Amino acid sequence: MSALDLKLLRDLWRMRGQALAIALVLAAATATFVLSTGVHGSLTATRDAYYARNHFAEVFAGMTRAPRGVIARLAEIPGVRRVEGNIVQYATLDFPGRIEPVRALINSVDESGRDRLNLVTLSRGHMPRPGETSEVVIDETFAKANGLELGDQVAAQIYGRREMLKIVGMGLAPNYIYALAPGDLIPDDKRFGIFWMGRKGLEAVTDRREAINSVSLTLERGASEAEVVRKVDAVLAPYGGTGAYGREDHLSHAFLDSELKQLDAMTRVIPPIFLLVSTFLVYIVLGRMIRTERTQIGLIKAFGYSDWAIGWHYLKFALAIAVLAIVMGALAGIWMGRAMTRLYAEYYRFPFLYYILSPGVFMGAGGLAIGSAALGALGGVRAAMSLTPAVAMAPPPPPIYRTGRIERLGRMAGFTVIGHMIVRHIARWPGRSAITVLGVALSLGLLFATMQFIDASRTMIDQFFARGQHQDLTVTFTEPRNEDVVHALAQLPGVQRVETTRAIPVKLHYRNRSERTAIESADPDATLTARIDSSGAEIALPPSGLMLSRQLAGQLGVRAGDAVLVEQLGGRRTRSTQRIVTIVDEIVGARAYAGQATLERIARDAAPVGAALLKIDPAARERILTRLKGMPVVLGVTERDAALTKFEQLIRDNILTMIGFYVSFASAIAVGVVYNSARILFSERAHELATLRVLGYHRSEVGMVLLGELALLVLAAVPVGCVIGYWMAQLIMAMFSSDLFRLPFMPARASYGYATLIVLAAALGTALIVSRRVMALDMVRVLKARE
Amino acid sequence: MTSARPGAPREEDAAFRGVALEKVYHTGETSVHALRGVDLLIPRGEMLVLLGPSGSGKSTLLNIIGGLDRPTAGTLYYRDTELTALNDRDLTRFRRAEIGFIFQFYNLIPSLTAEENVRLVTDIAERPMDPAEALALVGLAERRHHYPAQLSGGEQQRVAVARAIAKRPGVLLCDEPTGALDSSTGVNVLQALERTHAELGTTVVIITHNVGIAAMAHRVFHFLDGRIARIEVNEAPIDPRAIHW
Repeated sequence: MSALDLKLLRDLWRMRGQALAIALVLAAATATFVLSTGVHGSLTATRDAYYARNHFAEVFAGMTRAPRGVIARLAEIPGVRRVEGNIVQYATLDFPGRIEPVRALINSVDESGRDRLNLVTLSRGHMPRPGETSEVVIDETFAKANGLELGDQVAAQIYGRREMLKIVGMGLAPNYIYALAPGDLIPDDKRFGIFWMGRKGLEAVTDRREAINSVSLTLERGASEAEVVRKVDAVLAPYGGTGAYGREDHLSHAFLDSELKQLDAMTRVIPPIFLLVSTFLVYIVLGRMIRTERTQIGLIKAFGYSDWAIGWHYLKFALAIAVLAIVMGALAGIWMGRAMTRLYAEYYRFPFLYYILSPGVFMGAGGLAIGSAALGALGGVRAAMSLTPAVAMAPPPPPIYRTGRIERLGRMAGFTVIGHMIVRHIARWPGRSAITVLGVALSLGLLFATMQFIDASRTMIDQFFARGQHQDLTVTFTEPRNEDVVHALAQLPGVQRVETTRAIPVKLHYRNRSERTAIESADPDATLTARIDSSGAEIALPPSGLMLSRQLAGQLGVRAGDAVLVEQLGGRRTRSTQRIVTIVDEIVGARAYAGQATLERIARDAAPVGAALLKIDPAARERILTRLKGMPVVLGVTERDAALTKFEQLIRDNILTMIGFYVSFASAIAVGVVYNSARILFSERAHELATLRVLGYHRSEVGMVLLGELALLVLAAVPVGCVIGYWMAQLIMAMFSSDLFRLPFMPARASYGYATLIVLAAALGTALIVSRRVMALDMVRVLKARE
Repeated sequence: MTSARPGAPREEDAAFRGVALEKVYHTGETSVHALRGVDLLIPRGEMLVLLGPSGSGKSTLLNIIGGLDRPTAGTLYYRDTELTALNDRDLTRFRRAEIGFIFQFYNLIPSLTAEENVRLVTDIAERPMDPAEALALVGLAERRHHYPAQLSGGEQQRVAVARAIAKRPGVLLCDEPTGALDSSTGVNVLQALERTHAELGTTVVIITHNVGIAAMAHRVFHFLDGRIARIEVNEAPIDPRAIHW
């Protein structure tokens, strides 16, 4: 090993604290990069493999009822490769001893195994066999959540009939990676499951002999999806077609897609922050190192080493830190990636989950880490290279201090000389002071921005549940009912209030854009539901015309006052023109609202009840649920409290894990920045601090010079950090919002406080570690040396 | 002159009284005996010079009597206080109240002006002079708003002298105060020391390699191998202006 490399190793060891502090920040960059790109890549690879292996369809359509013969007609549409039709039917399940409502979505499958689309991957058992009409395959997660085993029997209310279903297999299918019951916000494996049943069996129970209510298609390569969708709609129109749609409107696919987009957003926002801070840290640490080693550099050059050899020597110092960071960060990223992938596996049902990290992920992470370290080293390396030996070996010119404008104010305010020392030192090194402020501010900003996930979720809970929903139960029906059902429900003992809501599926057209959505409505005098806008105000339904969420309006490109074409999907398939009256900021999804009268005009029917909302006496809950279970028209019952609990659990699991990661990451920045600033400050001021000790200042007073400057910089970083956090949070929230929901930006004032406290604690702890050096200051040795 | 006359010093007149002072530095596997059983008596109000080759123990002694360091063995009194019995906090307090230091390399705070460097001391002293007065004493009244980088070496050292005397210390300890200065600048500094000694009655201890300076002292301790080899009493100290090197 060359002497210069030995020096490098010893320098690294001597400055191990500072090197480690930088490596920590750079490792956070690597870790977040490996984490998000790794999980993104793994989920994408898993999804793509699953879709390909199980032939996930590309176009989907539902209808009231069509003869099986329609399949052959759809297959003739140019661009269609394969068409399969089946029956999809909701059912309520009856578990002995359990009164809470459990629902299943039953899909018909070909008993002879001729299906080729949306194939079920069996983990155990077998598919339903020909002739065995009661055999079902159920989804694994539902089976696990409810403790169901092969051979168990489940009582189901299907289409008004009670059937005993026998579980013969367990599996998963690509069209139900994310399985959401109607009206739910997040999957509830215990209360909602996917079943697959033999075609003959399901046809018999649902009175649909040789008929279907759902089709799936795959397309030829290069075929136009929009064109196929248009033709499929034309074919299915007479059968009550509810509109064909592609994968992007497929619920399961759309949820997974929005998750992937969020991961992608994370990759683009978070690692760059760490990279930026690392670059700054390398810049100030290496810059200081080269200033202190000035004489050595001159000497080495005098011996005959080239400028390049010196430059390379110091660059290697930065690269060594980067390499350490890459190793630490990659390991942390892999570990966290595994944890996060496991978390996804709880909400997304995959029969297998690849956690694969391509070499590209590591190369990308490594390249970024090395690049940012090298960039930070550039200034110092250039300075070292351009020093001529004669200049380098002479002592450096003394630092010039000036009495600045703030200083004069300070004098008037009666600053002590220690105060002057602190302020002038900050002013003498404005770049470095700014970097310290910015670094700590970024740490605080990042912390604040990630905390917004908690605030956003709290707002969502508050607006959606606490203020938006006052009903205890939501009852959905097998098909829209008339007012009679309201009276029937009101008769149940313990029911205190019944209100109705209705949503009709429509396609809105404006110029050349169109969007599938549902127009929702509620009773004019509704008290159980409210629509809350993102500022927290209650929104009234418009007396005429439509009200659109900002998101839907954006997708359609409409403004208030524009008129849109409303095409009803299913039902009477009406077409009418409606004016957009208002646009509201809402949290959940791209939605449209109308007053009850408007909705009735669009639907042109006398069955206004889509779902009933019930306020009940809690003591009567069990009795009411039991009665509802026995009503043939009732498709399902959602309990508000259960949904709320489920939602809170999701936040706890998912968001808190992420917040945990980011609190440690953000603290790493604060620690890295404060530690390095403190060490540099200490090394620059050791001489002065020792002088103060000699002059009779106590250790605590001397420590104030060091801590005072850090404290000023850290405190200056707090407001900057709050502003950065505010913008960063808005950016992240916007990037995380999808067609499905929009994260509200509702920062709780306390979050500023928490973020500040965490950063201050990290800064204080770090500063105290460094200030221990003040305690151990050797006055005699320092004073013997020339500055 | 208010200072005590040289001669056989009496214990009750002593500023410092040390018995069997030893100092051993352990560096790695070797031990260095910097002081090997030094007994000493430094009379109050005298000007004392410590002479001797490098490593003979004079700086170690200066650091110990200044409360910057502790002896490995032996006892040391300042007037009636046993310094060797004080804890770190009390030693700091002792330095703060009684000792003024002057070093070869000035050790001024570069971010403070001349006057502010003096204020560093007057801020924490009990009966300090006005900083401007201390600077006037060393002939730098005009330069008090200058930063160290704007002053010459001699001027910087005189600021250091002003900083040391501004608290009206009982003792002024000077480690090679003219070591970095040319002859005429050095004489200026020595004059400032002499004036302080004369006007405030301060005990002054000067370490120097410069034998010429010994002529201005009342008493000279010659150091050799960690011991005081010889004490020389000077009946007629000369004026610093008569010293050249």
